[in-house]
Amino acid sequence: MMQQVGLLAVILLLSLVLVRFSGTHVDRETGQTVSNFFNPGSLVQILTETSFFAIMAVGMTLVIVSGGIDLSIGSVYALAGVGMALTMRAAGWDSPWLALALCIGFGLLAGVLNGTMVATLGVHPFIVTLGTMWVFRGVAFVVSKAESVLVPGPVTDFAKNPLFLGKGLTPVPAIVMGLFILGGALYLNRTTMGRRVLAVGGNADAARYAGLPIPYILAGVYVIAGLGAGIAAFLGAAYFGSASSADANGYELYVIASAVVGGVSLNGGRGTVTGAFLGALLIVLIRTGIRLLRLDQNYEWIIIGAAIIIAVVLDRLGARLLEKRMVNG
Amino acid sequence: MKVSAVGLSKRFPGVQALSDISVDFLPGEVHAICGENGAGKSTLGKVLAGLYAPEQGHVALDDKPVRFSSPREAQAAGISIVHQELLFAENLTVADNLLLGEIPNQFGWVSDRQMLDTARRWLEKVGSDIDPSMEVAKLSVSKQQLVQIAGGIGRGAKVLIFDEPTSSLTATEATALLGLIRELSAAGTTCLYVSHRLDEIFAIADRVTVLRDGAWVGTKPIAEVTPGSLVQMMVGRELLASSEGDGAFGEPVLEVRGLSSVGRFRDISLTVRAGEIVGLAGLVGAGRTEVCEAIFGVDRRATGSVSVAGKSLVLGSPQRSIAAGVALVPEDRKRHGLVLGMTIRHNGSMAVLPRLSTLGWLNRAAESRTVREFTDRLRVKAPSIESVVGGLSGGNQQKVVLAKWLATDAAVLLIDEPTRGVDVGAKVEIHGLIREAAASGKAVLLVSSDMPELRALCDRMIVLREGVQVAELGRAASETEILSAMAGV
Repeated sequence: MMQQVGLLAVILLLSLVLVRFSGTHVDRETGQTVSNFFNPGSLVQILTETSFFAIMAVGMTLVIVSGGIDLSIGSVYALAGVGMALTMRAAGWDSPWLALALCIGFGLLAGVLNGTMVATLGVHPFIVTLGTMWVFRGVAFVVSKAESVLVPGPVTDFAKNPLFLGKGLTPVPAIVMGLFILGGALYLNRTTMGRRVLAVGGNADAARYAGLPIPYILAGVYVIAGLGAGIAAFLGAAYFGSASSADANGYELYVIASAVVGGVSLNGGRGTVTGAFLGALLIVLIRTGIRLLRLDQNYEWIIIGAAIIIAVVLDRLGARLLEKRMVNG
Repeated sequence: MKVSAVGLSKRFPGVQALSDISVDFLPGEVHAICGENGAGKSTLGKVLAGLYAPEQGHVALDDKPVRFSSPREAQAAGISIVHQELLFAENLTVADNLLLGEIPNQFGWVSDRQMLDTARRWLEKVGSDIDPSMEVAKLSVSKQQLVQIAGGIGRGAKVLIFDEPTSSLTATEATALLGLIRELSAAGTTCLYVSHRLDEIFAIADRVTVLRDGAWVGTKPIAEVTPGSLVQMMVGRELLASSEGDGAFGEPVLEVRGLSSVGRFRDISLTVRAGEIVGLAGLVGAGRTEVCEAIFGVDRRATGSVSVAGKSLVLGSPQRSIAAGVALVPEDRKRHGLVLGMTIRHNGSMAVLPRLSTLGWLNRAAESRTVREFTDRLRVKAPSIESVVGGLSGGNQQKVVLAKWLATDAAVLLIDEPTRGVDVGAKVEIHGLIREAAASGKAVLLVSSDMPELRALCDRMIVLREGVQVAELGRAASETEILSAMAGV
């Protein structure tokens, strides 16, 4: 809980810096001067970008809390996107709901594969998902012949629907993200399965001695990670209008970083879904900030890398200070 | 060297671990520090050894105040500690570990020979012929302890603090260790002996200091106290005497026939009736824990027939065993019994989650109610059920494990070493709880290495030796009878 207060403070601080220093432009339609950062378009844009990471970070959080890791999550995204786009085109479908179902289907399939192997082979999840990371992306590469596949127009319209907001605003990915985060948080904190995931990650031996069904618990988190990757892939492919086997390349590391910055312990047993969301938001804010503050784009990776380390160190410091206060108070 | 605690106070989150402790420890004496778990005795040792900094007061050496900011500074001043949990880089050799702080080197290149020589010299000082080039992981716990002591003596320690040193030793090893401590103190070393084992305290101590809830209760020459008065000082109240069972039991609940597991034990047959407490006695390695694990289903290779309340149980899955009404309170509570980073509520409900939820949705009110019911009944001492179990004392952790399994309302309780590392007060309470469980009609199979515990609790005892059932003894059996059956003499 306190962890998230610290992270929230950093996010607010960064937002204030962006409000102050990102400059202004004149809105062409209204003729008014608006902040480059603090305007509806930019804010929705940031949430949209965040949603692709954050939805996957929910699944990743569960996987890491269970004591594992899923390196294949970016590849599952690519596979689900390509698989959906190809199927839609081959079958001549254009319903966004069918597209969503296909993406979820491919994501779940990949998740079941990961989960089954982790639960039954006794090989470390790092190895299993390192393998499937290449296999899934390779399959996407082969079936798409390395070409970008266009997504039917109605699917894109669905993801870019302004709903109740003004023209040019696209809240759908952010809303889906909100629902998925809510679901993930409830799952981890309020359901028996969530509790079991925490227990297995905290002490797998004790969980086994308490009679918990370990293989199902482990498999379950990878299935949810696959589900998240599938939903993210649907939003991404629909939003950008196409899917390619090169999509989401390297996203697994952004997603893991989001979780870790959000306070998820790589040792398992500890972490929150909302923390991972805030972690994802922070990373996207930093990326946006580099652009808005007109810093050299080439420094993006250096800044993000340093920020991750600083965020985690600050977080530990905060926890230690808090502990001290409790001791002395 | 005389070492003194002068008005030492130390706080941890939620507890006052030490409050205003002043004691002098004299040169050449063995000074026992005892108290229940959580009384602050280990904390006192750690403050003296520089592992913790006190908030108030100070440590004095020969009446000169000193302030240690690290164990290394304490060591340099002549105070060494032998830990309860041995702290080694287990993949390195004995010599590496002994000299880790000051590796002999030439311009950064390790001088192996000098290192081995120094290590050998230090080990000889404690009368040990351990090969300093052995990997520490390959040594038994007792030998690892000797290595720690050698490290302290080798660095010229004039004060040695032993923190529950015998908790993982066999009886012979413990006796040898006590002999060594006596020799060291005869040579002028001040020995502080932190323990709650009364027999050892009386065997070795010259004086004894008792702590309770972090406060000083008294310091007395050993000749002026009796086991009874010492326990009373530790607990602060009279303890209940053990009561005899009435010998009337119900139907057979647990029936084991021809249970075997390759390399562990073979052909075990036993019956436990409702209300009965049956002991499994035997030396370490006789297969007692393994039998319990087989009945509970964590041993996948076990064969034989087990039935609970007349219904036959398919072995090999803890879930099936739990569903059939079997519970296991495991020997190693930190590894198998608890998730230390989780709260009492989380741990207490872990084995009954399905009962506390509807369609996978956890009913947190019911969960809190259930856990609170059992932790209240077991008198778990903690600020609330939201406390993390890793921060509780051994006795309270054990009660949480018991609570978790009593909550399942299992018909069969397999209880493995329920009072290891638990203080006297909690031990008596846990014994009471086990009796109560049996009296309420549960069948209890109890494993214990503590002879008085077996004799106090069990209605009869089954003795195992090297994986084979060798004897069955009634509750009237003497300690000698049990021991000779266990050892086969």
